[in-house]
Amino acid sequence: MDNKKSQDLNTIDRRDFFRKAAAVSATALAGTSLLANESAGEGDPAIMHHTKWGQKWGDPVTKNQYGIPSAYEHNVIRRSTKLLASGNFRASIAVTPIHESQGIITPNGLFFSRSHGGTAHVDPNEYRLMIHGLVEKPIVLTLAELKRYPSVTRTHFIECPANGGQEWRGPQFNSVQFAKGFMASAEWTGVYIKTILEDLGLKPTAQWMLAEGSDNSKMGRTIPVDKVLDDAMIVWGQNGEALRPEQGYPVRLLVPGWEGNLCVKWLRRLEFSQEPWYCKEETSKYTDLKPTGKAIQHFYANEVNSTVTSPSPELPWTDLKEGDVVEIEGLAWSGMGTIKAVDLSFDGGKNYVNANLKGLVLSKSWTRWSYMFTIPKNFQLNGKQLLLTSRAIDDAGYIQPTIDQEIGIMGVEAVYHRNAVETWEVTEEGKVNHVQIRSV
Amino acid sequence: MFKLEAYSKLLVSTSVAAVVAFSVVGCMGDSTAPSGSDTSVSLDIDGGVSYPVVNNKTSDYYVNPQAIGAKINNGRVPNAAELAKWDTDLQPATELSPEGHGIPEGSGSVEDGEELYEAQCVMCHGDFGSGGGGYPALSKGNAYDLQKTLTNNRWKDPEADGPTREFGSYWPQATTMWWYIRDGMPHPFSDSLSVDETYALTAYILNINEMFVDGVEVDDEYVLDRAKFLKIVMPNVDGFEPVISGANALPVVKAYFGKASNFGGRNLNQGATRCMSDCQEPTAKIKRIQNGGIKDFIPAMNMTRDLPKKEAVAIDVKKTYTESCAMCHSAFLSPGSGDWAGYTPKGMDKVYANGINGTEGGMPAKGGADLSDADFKTMVDYLISGKIK
Ligand code: HEC
Ligand code: HEC
Repeated sequence: MDNKKSQDLNTIDRRDFFRKAAAVSATALAGTSLLANESAGEGDPAIMHHTKWGQKWGDPVTKNQYGIPSAYEHNVIRRSTKLLASGNFRASIAVTPIHESQGIITPNGLFFSRSHGGTAHVDPNEYRLMIHGLVEKPIVLTLAELKRYPSVTRTHFIECPANGGQEWRGPQFNSVQFAKGFMASAEWTGVYIKTILEDLGLKPTAQWMLAEGSDNSKMGRTIPVDKVLDDAMIVWGQNGEALRPEQGYPVRLLVPGWEGNLCVKWLRRLEFSQEPWYCKEETSKYTDLKPTGKAIQHFYANEVNSTVTSPSPELPWTDLKEGDVVEIEGLAWSGMGTIKAVDLSFDGGKNYVNANLKGLVLSKSWTRWSYMFTIPKNFQLNGKQLLLTSRAIDDAGYIQPTIDQEIGIMGVEAVYHRNAVETWEVTEEGKVNHVQIRSV
Repeated sequence: MFKLEAYSKLLVSTSVAAVVAFSVVGCMGDSTAPSGSDTSVSLDIDGGVSYPVVNNKTSDYYVNPQAIGAKINNGRVPNAAELAKWDTDLQPATELSPEGHGIPEGSGSVEDGEELYEAQCVMCHGDFGSGGGGYPALSKGNAYDLQKTLTNNRWKDPEADGPTREFGSYWPQATTMWWYIRDGMPHPFSDSLSVDETYALTAYILNINEMFVDGVEVDDEYVLDRAKFLKIVMPNVDGFEPVISGANALPVVKAYFGKASNFGGRNLNQGATRCMSDCQEPTAKIKRIQNGGIKDFIPAMNMTRDLPKKEAVAIDVKKTYTESCAMCHSAFLSPGSGDWAGYTPKGMDKVYANGINGTEGGMPAKGGADLSDADFKTMVDYLISGKIK
């Protein structure tokens, strides 16, 4: 009996003790600063305290009927620079933050934006597409009529051929957004031009198609009929919604894998002809001058290319230490086919290992690659700072050249289509710098 | 009527000839073939792979076979007026097309062109088309001399002269100029010039490029018309490859892009190797960004995840003074006081900078207040003058 009583008392005592202890520690906590060291036992304030969002009502579902990113993401944005702007940013480019890109789709608001006379705002009710020239039957379509054709949906990147074009003579941008972000990728919905041509009847002499925009620059480009009858599309959908104005709302051309400026925005006219046009953007610009003094015109496909996207100068490894295991990640792409393999070098392209492809591998699309890596002491291998270089290969057999190999043929004045391997140096503190490995 | 089917067959038959084996060569005996490498691919006009529909699939995508070849009769035939209104493009005269396309009757003088240029173009393109400030130059001098600079290449010497790629020295066709001025310029209000005005502006641009048409100098008295326009031969007309004019253009273009070395590409099927070890040119070394590189990013690079700063509203000067400056600045260096005479002679830039960064004499950076640089400067202006602007 006594025994039992004492047991009960013991129990009560213990309960009391815990109650008291809890009260004491609550008081102690209330008095500690939010910045207290969690390892000292107070716990991480992000865990220990009520959060602003954890108790009060959130927004009603009636707010933001077209959703917007979290306010905290306000620095994940397109950026531009004066160097790449003609005048008042009306003939200019804003580039994609690829260091923050996830997967192989770019959100529509972050898709790089390039125009020659500003972003046009087209009234879809007044939208007309005219197709004429060397066809048996010319036509004009409204937007509703265009969208009645059977649609196809394809994931493709669009890349400005000037991506990396500021760096023929040496690295200039300590930023992957600016060094490689003149591109973005989306799932596009539209109709193959060849589907429309079934009805119109292309005349046998037709070799070229002019695509012309309705914006104030009447941006135009010439496209060979081979591509028109292969996979060229007229698109109105981008990642499940209408094109954004910056992407040519309501309708643009999509020429998979080819120079971004061939994907004419605010498209209003297609004309077929036996002889080519000589538009401003295929003569004055978007031509590659070689050391021979001759320039390549009609340089269509963006060639096989790749870059490390993590780490980057923007998001470096300064928080990592020796022995940490981390994923090195990047993008590979080719306008000439499907990515087959990516090699990764830690010494700037002297020796390579195989990296792993990751996720969907689609033709003329961004392809993710990945490599698991253990951080070495001071970010050094064999006494040298890490130099991360990636090299992609596509199913047409193209492999990225070294800088010496590419400029050996193209010189340094070509401006466009630079696809030599890209190198990122990791410093002793884990910072990342854009460098090039070259002889001149 | 031309059948697409026939065209597809044509494409297939040419691509069969271009079927090539995909192979991987490792120079150091490496045999890491990319996983699932194709045994054959057919090359397209761009030198890349084409993915014909096989078993209702093109590459990884299924296609609806019923949609292939379906004749869908959407839209309507445009009338002649509609076609004429939008069909404003120009094509040059060629062997196949001696009259070119879209080159209208009309004329304009260099003299009128100069007047138009001074009124509508000079503010962006500069005197005599010199360009600058992000606006392209329309001339850099004598077109024939400058065409010779196209072999300049700044390989090693960054101070060397590069190539000059302006209208006169570089463009292959004058139709580009006429068409672009007519449809795309002036930039803020395009599609507003008449045919004669466009001839006049083209004449003026030929003039400042010191060009000749059919052996005649385009001098200050020159009048350009359609007949003369058709005779313009640009100095760099033969400066481009591949050749895109002529009835057989597409196979020519395809052959050009079928050869990787033409465009600086490297192809494993054309002698390139997938070197895995000891790959680098022995002379290659690390080249770093010079002088900080380009970093005037708009907006500046920023990786933080915080809440955006509230839209800048004009600050309440009196209130800010009371809250953030008065505790120290009411006795000494007070608003509008003579004490400032001891501080302002070193120049306002210095005064602002000292205030922003703080001084050893006791001024905390920005007085400890959470103000943008611009707002802080507004406060300094008030302290010195004693007046609210
Ligand atoms: C408000 C500024 C502005 C005015 C005014 C203006 N332009 Fe332009 N112009 C531009 C810009 C910007 C570009 C480059 C457009 C681009 O990058 O696509 C350009 C490009 C050109 C080009 C092509 C140059 C090249 O090398 O590619 C020509 C030719 C031209 N303008 C002629 C004219 C003429 C003629 C006028 C007057 C009738 C005119 N411009 C008025 C801003 C202007
Ligand atoms: C904590 C006291 C304190 C506060 C608060 C303070 N100041 Fe000062 N400030 C000083 C002192 C002390 C000096 C003289 C420093 C010296 O001579 O080096 C000074 C000097 C300055 C100068 C002259 C700097 C130079 O060397 O040319 C400026 C400008 C100035 N303050 C602006 C402001 C403004 C605007 C505010 C309010 C937003 C402010 N200060 C708030 C103490 C303060």
